[in-house]
Amino acid sequence: MSSDLDRQIEQLKRCEPLKESEVKALCLKAMEILVEESNVQRVDAPVTICGDIHGQFYDMKELFKVGGDCPKTNYLFLGDFVDRGFYSVETFLLLLALKVRYPDRITLIRGNHESRQITQVYGFYDECLRKYGSVNVWRYCTDIFDYLSLSALIENKIFSVHGGLSPAITTLDQIRTIDRKQEVPHDGAMCDLLWSDPEDIVDGWGLSPRGAGYLFGGSVVTSFNHANNIDYICRAHQLVMEGYKWMFNNQIVTVWSAPNYCYRCGNVAAILELDGNLNKQFRVFEAAPQESRGTPAKKPAPDYFL
Amino acid sequence: MGAPEKSQANANSMQRVKVYRLNDDGKWDDQGTGHVTVDYLERSEDLGLFVYDEDDNETILLHRISSEDIYRKQEDTIISWRDPEYATELALSFQEPSGCSYIWDHICNVQRNMHFNTLNSEPYHSVNSEPRELPTVELSTLPLILKTVVDSGFADQLRLTELILSDQEFFRKLVEVFRMCEDLENMDGLHMIFKIVKGIVLLNSPAIFERIFSDDFILDIIGALEYDPEVPCVQHHRKFLKEHVVFKEAIPIKDPVVLSKIHQTYRVGFLKDVVLARILDEGISANLNSIIHSNNAHVVSLLKDDSTFIQELFSRLKSPTTSQESKKNLVYFLHEFCSLSKSLQMVQQLRLFRDLMNEGIFDVVANVLQNQDKKLVLTGTDILSLFLNQDPNLLRSYFVRQEGFALLGLLVKGMLTDFGENMHCQFLEILRSLLDSCTLAGPQRDTIIDIFFERHLGQLVDVITTSCPSENTADESGKSIGPGQRVQCQGGTKPEILSNICELLCFCVLHHPYRIKCNFLLNNVIEKILLLTRRAERYLVVGGVRFVRTILSRHDEHLINYFVRNNVLKPIIDAFVSNGNRYNLLHSAVLELFDFIRKENMKLLVKYIVDTFWGQLVKFEYLASIHSLKVKYEQSLDNGGTKDASTVVDLRRRNDERGLEREEERYFNEDSDDEEDTASASAPRNLKGHQQPNLSNGVAANCSQLCTRSLVDYDDDEDDEDYKPPPRKQPETSDEDDGIMESLRMKRKLPSKDKEPELVKKQKLSKNSKSKDSVFAALCSTLSQAVLPSKKSSISIHTSARTVEGRMVSSEDNNQGDVQNISRSSSNNSNIAADDNHVEKEAEASRSFSDCLHAKSDNKQLGADERPLVTAKSSPEMAVNGS
Repeated sequence: MSSDLDRQIEQLKRCEPLKESEVKALCLKAMEILVEESNVQRVDAPVTICGDIHGQFYDMKELFKVGGDCPKTNYLFLGDFVDRGFYSVETFLLLLALKVRYPDRITLIRGNHESRQITQVYGFYDECLRKYGSVNVWRYCTDIFDYLSLSALIENKIFSVHGGLSPAITTLDQIRTIDRKQEVPHDGAMCDLLWSDPEDIVDGWGLSPRGAGYLFGGSVVTSFNHANNIDYICRAHQLVMEGYKWMFNNQIVTVWSAPNYCYRCGNVAAILELDGNLNKQFRVFEAAPQESRGTPAKKPAPDYFL
Repeated sequence: MGAPEKSQANANSMQRVKVYRLNDDGKWDDQGTGHVTVDYLERSEDLGLFVYDEDDNETILLHRISSEDIYRKQEDTIISWRDPEYATELALSFQEPSGCSYIWDHICNVQRNMHFNTLNSEPYHSVNSEPRELPTVELSTLPLILKTVVDSGFADQLRLTELILSDQEFFRKLVEVFRMCEDLENMDGLHMIFKIVKGIVLLNSPAIFERIFSDDFILDIIGALEYDPEVPCVQHHRKFLKEHVVFKEAIPIKDPVVLSKIHQTYRVGFLKDVVLARILDEGISANLNSIIHSNNAHVVSLLKDDSTFIQELFSRLKSPTTSQESKKNLVYFLHEFCSLSKSLQMVQQLRLFRDLMNEGIFDVVANVLQNQDKKLVLTGTDILSLFLNQDPNLLRSYFVRQEGFALLGLLVKGMLTDFGENMHCQFLEILRSLLDSCTLAGPQRDTIIDIFFERHLGQLVDVITTSCPSENTADESGKSIGPGQRVQCQGGTKPEILSNICELLCFCVLHHPYRIKCNFLLNNVIEKILLLTRRAERYLVVGGVRFVRTILSRHDEHLINYFVRNNVLKPIIDAFVSNGNRYNLLHSAVLELFDFIRKENMKLLVKYIVDTFWGQLVKFEYLASIHSLKVKYEQSLDNGGTKDASTVVDLRRRNDERGLEREEERYFNEDSDDEEDTASASAPRNLKGHQQPNLSNGVAANCSQLCTRSLVDYDDDEDDEDYKPPPRKQPETSDEDDGIMESLRMKRKLPSKDKEPELVKKQKLSKNSKSKDSVFAALCSTLSQAVLPSKKSSISIHTSARTVEGRMVSSEDNNQGDVQNISRSSSNNSNIAADDNHVEKEAEASRSFSDCLHAKSDNKQLGADERPLVTAKSSPEMAVNGS
């Protein structure tokens, strides 16, 4: 079984997607693991925190080069594995396979793109349809999305979430009573955690131009961190050209791990390494060089009637 | 550059020259005799004159052609110039005047192009600098062409496109040069041709695409794209196309036009997805897609109008003599045919599907579903899915006929069948669309629901009961079942199948609450499904919790009474308690259930839970949800009984329900007031507005204080429009336990309007005028298909080819009871407007998305999602979701 899984991991590392049957088995195993996780998943240091990947498979390989392989390095991925890039399928399946193989070494939490609706617009749905000829793989993957945890807490000191805070959540314990196994709703705490953004010019809470979640200002972060006795919040969700960005006097940091986002933004990416004592080190990296990218892995159907 | 071959190849008298050099004494030294060519210099895109010795192929002369005006043509056979490198005068003496003028023209041509390129790189270049002509395609002119293609600005690109198109020979010659380079293994040449072809593709001209995708050129174009200088090894696309791809003909297609289109479509798709995948931007992809799309439409419509073809297809499919193998291929063909028909216009596609239905496609599929070959079975379901996405009522109309019963049975059976490694989620999806009350209409409606509930619901429930440890076993094992005591099922049904059943039942609770309720009450279905909580797989236990949560979201007094009377929550409490302190999904789901019960003020349940289970729950009192439940219990004890039976306002919109659930309401048509009404009437409206669409997510209510935000949150809009909460529960009796079943039976016969006057009065209180009801009735009859699906699954508007299923319609996803949905949207006209608005926003979102893709380097254009921190504004991506 684990040798099967190891083989699949190797295959995925070459950016070759799994067979439908393998995806099915993998998803069922992942479901059993993820159902045991908390809405606020506890994570031990040392750990390396990664932001959005968005299907940029070869850039994620750069990430592992810089950060070290799983399981040698512990990882926390803050969601948005899919959409936009060319390899959402391979990217998500590799992360999921690593999760199943090394459940204590890698934590995956949910981003706003881990959603049936969003993936139908931003590429993952089409990619599954193109690569498998049916949307079954998409269905299995999106069912798994429903099981992904919503946030993580590192050594009780660093709160990690994809988007940001919610006006419905003042204490971490309030996240406990979210039944997360559902499509990302259009409002409410679960939605906000995945959609909100910190914003300098906002005092308190503001409307989000994204149409979901909120903008929140420094005072909100200060009182949240104080109320929950945490040092800072680590989140992803927004492109930052330098790969990471502190805000509000180092109370919240954005980590972005998709270099040259959409293959054209020209940004660098970063991951945040925390050692056993929670000392921080940002590792900045660039997009994979062109040569290291294989040819597109899409295998066209070998036969056709029409 | 292979000089020897070159001189051999060009060994003709036209290029024969003598090379002279002016020496220091002012005399012309003869440097030798050879053949002259214009060629590019090594590792450079500059052109030069080469003269190779006719005897030993030594290079006699190598001269970089200068843009300066240094060349002189003397008499008819001499070209001379002052050479900057040799620092002296050089001269070529041609054997033939024609050779001389040929080279002379070449030199002028090169100079002109150099001139053009220089101008082009200057900040302001005049219109005159547009390429006026393209050199004839030859090996020697490739660098020039490349330069023109690569360096041209936007205005020049249009001109360049014109030039390429006006030269009828351009691609023929390019292909010739390509073949020659490939024969000679001239990698430099091949790399240049790659860049030229790539550059031409990037011009994104449909007219050019039409030309290069023609049968004459497409394979060579694909060949040229195998030589990407940036990719270490050469690709083998043509080899793949020629050796691995098989064009299958289930039924021979005779029309050569159709055949040619079919092949072209495959190759263009291959170019798009494989060959050019890295190069393409959205604009080019869109053009290629539209070529594929229109080809598909063309092919499908030619085939569908070929009546002999269709008839042959179906007669072979139905014929018992057709071999298994060729029947398989026919089914696969049929699937592809239906699938490609998405490229037709909506009306045409609908007509085609009707025709196929009349030809008996559903009989064929029913047959396929009984096949041993699982892959073939799944193809059959895929065909049904295509029909359902087009118009669910086509398939539903089949179910009115007797043969349809069998097909429905096969679908249920398929859902329960172990497909081994194969994914078979299609069955659940198909059943869901068939049972989706939002798209149900007409006479099929009753039939399909009747058949499903009468014949198959029990079947589904039985699978669960036989796959879970029986109640007796559990009872014997004591009050609480520890995790270790959970018995692995013996029934042999795969857990994912049980999970699918549970999901379908939740869906039925939301879409057919009245009908399923009968079953619940008569057959102990709820208890049976809660046997899932005894399964070892935690996600099945969670499924059981979700099922109860879904039922409770209906606020059905009967069922709440039933829960209390039959101690229905016991397995859930047991599961929660035995889960202990593990903070997992089960833990959260049960706490959310408790929170929901408390926040919705379901006093009976609060009392029942605390009275019955407090001994078990007390050790969890440190959890806020458990503690609050106890507090709630104590509060209601304090106010005990005073308000329980009081009638305040009946907020139920009975007429709305009747509009939608007419058939089901025949069973339950009597109103009664109860504490739930009191609760919902007295609760702040904005709170209600928030809770309603988030049945499964009680936390949404926490958010209500923020309802000032003006996002695409239509629940808030409702508040603004004086909207009253949607029906929170079903009309029903207040009869005590023993009378329920009796009254159920009796009330089927009662006229449904017996309480009308009272209802009107009540509705006045809630500011709902009668006219709204009539608006609703009208909407109900006309909009049931048009408005509702788009409301729920608005993405379909710009991804129209996709399934209505698999998105928000599913009960899992947003758990909105259709009744509520419909009554909300139709009882308040502004909601429809809101929908339109919503669609607009959605379009906006998708526009902003494409903006993003078009933005070359402007990060601000990234659109709504992943808005860079620096930018302040972007359009709402989430708008695609709002409902």
